Amino acid sequence: MSLAAFSLADKNALVLGASSAIGRAAACALAEAGADVAVGSTLATPREQEAVLTCRDAIQSQGRKSLARTIDAANEADVQALVEQTHSELGTLDILVNAHDLPFAKPLRDISSKEWCRVLEVNLTGVYFACRAAADPMLAQHSGRIINIVSLLGERGMINGSAYCAAQGGVLNLTRALALEWARSGITVNAVGAGWTEGMGLLKDTAVQEQLRRYLPQKRLAQPSEVGEAAVYLASDVAGFITGQTVWLEGGALSHL
Amino acid sequence: MSVLDKLRLGGKTALVTGAGRGLGRAMALDLAEAGADIIVASRTQNQIDETAALVRTQGRRSLAVRVDITDSHSINAMIEAGRAAFGQIDILVNNAGGATKGMFRPLDTIPDTHWHMGVDTNLSGAVYCCRALLPSMVEQGGGKIINITSGFGVRAAKNNYMYTAAKAGLINFTRALAMNYAEHNIQANLILPGIFPHDDPELIEFWRGGKFIPVGRVGQDAELGPACVFLASNLSNYMNGQMLALEGGGLAGGQAPCGFAPVVPLEEDSV
Ligand SMILES: NC(=O)c1ccc[n+]([C@@H]2O[C@H](COP(=O)([O-])OP(=O)(O)OC[C@H]3O[C@@H](n4cnc5c(N)ncnc54)[C@H](OP(=O)(O)O)[C@@H]3O)[C@@H](O)[C@H]2O)c1
Repeated sequence: MSLAAFSLADKNALVLGASSAIGRAAACALAEAGADVAVGSTLATPREQEAVLTCRDAIQSQGRKSLARTIDAANEADVQALVEQTHSELGTLDILVNAHDLPFAKPLRDISSKEWCRVLEVNLTGVYFACRAAADPMLAQHSGRIINIVSLLGERGMINGSAYCAAQGGVLNLTRALALEWARSGITVNAVGAGWTEGMGLLKDTAVQEQLRRYLPQKRLAQPSEVGEAAVYLASDVAGFITGQTVWLEGGALSHL
Repeated sequence: MSVLDKLRLGGKTALVTGAGRGLGRAMALDLAEAGADIIVASRTQNQIDETAALVRTQGRRSLAVRVDITDSHSINAMIEAGRAAFGQIDILVNNAGGATKGMFRPLDTIPDTHWHMGVDTNLSGAVYCCRALLPSMVEQGGGKIINITSGFGVRAAKNNYMYTAAKAGLINFTRALAMNYAEHNIQANLILPGIFPHDDPELIEFWRGGKFIPVGRVGQDAELGPACVFLASNLSNYMNGQMLALEGGGLAGGQAPCGFAPVVPLEEDSV
């Protein structure tokens, strides 16, 4: 093996939720590793539009092809259209990263059914839409890499996290089920597990960040790049025997009693 | 620095136990390919000499050291020899291990000696290596530990006791390392290999078509190398106490036989 085996040159990727810190880092890392990368937002808002356009520019400035589309990740038609656009403009779809993320935390009794459904739709159902849309080109070419970004809340509970934890846990187990379903179709389905990361939607409060720094074995939060870059490894040819797994980058958080 | 440059291990020294053959050799050669000098250790001199020679043909330095990982004195001597040759050891791969005498036997027929041999080979050896090396890793400001567990470390099998207990113990030992050494910039993680029959014709025949493996094939030794490079490199600096499983999907399932695929549409009155 030479290190070139990790390269993603000649591969095409789509990153949903490239408007978030980790999604953007994953998109840029894939491009740095040689892939052309299309990006989509989590929400169809002006702020997120700005974010995905900036991400697209960053990818293009690395000399890679890119395109950006402002979508609502819970909108089936939006997601389908972006997958199709990626396929037609870049030529193939080899790598799908589902990094879209709608942070939310509230006591269960205060959660309206509308909020509950929205959190589940964006964070979980959106992954289903994207996987289903990506399956067409990936099954046809008998190869593909699907990488779902989840957080510690996919694996562990948290006060006020019921809706978010349910959605993220859903993504993790969807990852396992789909890995089995497509195991003989050349598609691997894995997750990157993000520890507490700078810029995460749930960590806007700096006091909360301090509390976590003290608690974490590694005594610091992750940089978004440290999480996003793991997608490069899972997306590469050398990771072909890994499927249904989660690669956690969490500074020892999950080892803590 | 580009993301791919973070994989480079130039200037680092790795110690790989059980590198005389099999997965250990494959990992040693890829660590060397990524730029590391390699200390190759096991009990069988001609096998470690051969791996060391292969490392040298890749342009890296290498030292073959005989060790019995069930003996902590032997391990301490190995670490000393490695340090004497290379100054410091940055990466430790605890790979030596595997089947020991009486591995598949009913519990009531396992003598103490077999139990101890199984646990010493697959757990204590890694513990002794970490114990001997960690103080200097702390002193040098960081390091990487990579422990090789097994599917048997997370799931059980008929008449398999000491291997399964030892490999499971290795997993939580690795978490303990993460808890205690994270502050010293040391990351300890695991690789979980699935079925890697090497070049054994009987095993290859038995697993032909990838029976019982979701992806429908066994692993190639060479596939483990890149995983080891990933865990030894700066690309995994925030991964600690974790496991990277290369096993073709088996662990994603495990409540029914491989290939179990019922189809159950919603009843009309339930939509
Ligand atoms: N192959 C698989 O399918 C598989 C699956 C899951 C996990 N694993 C694990 O992966 C590791 C490597 O397995 P492998 O299949 O490559 O095994 P292998 O081909 O039998 O090689 C094992 C290596 O470990 C060394 N070793 C064993 N006992 C030792 C001792 N007491 N002291 C020093 N060295 C010792 C052996 O050298 P000497 O005998 O010459 O000392 C050899 O170099 C093991 O920990 C195994 O449990 C393997």
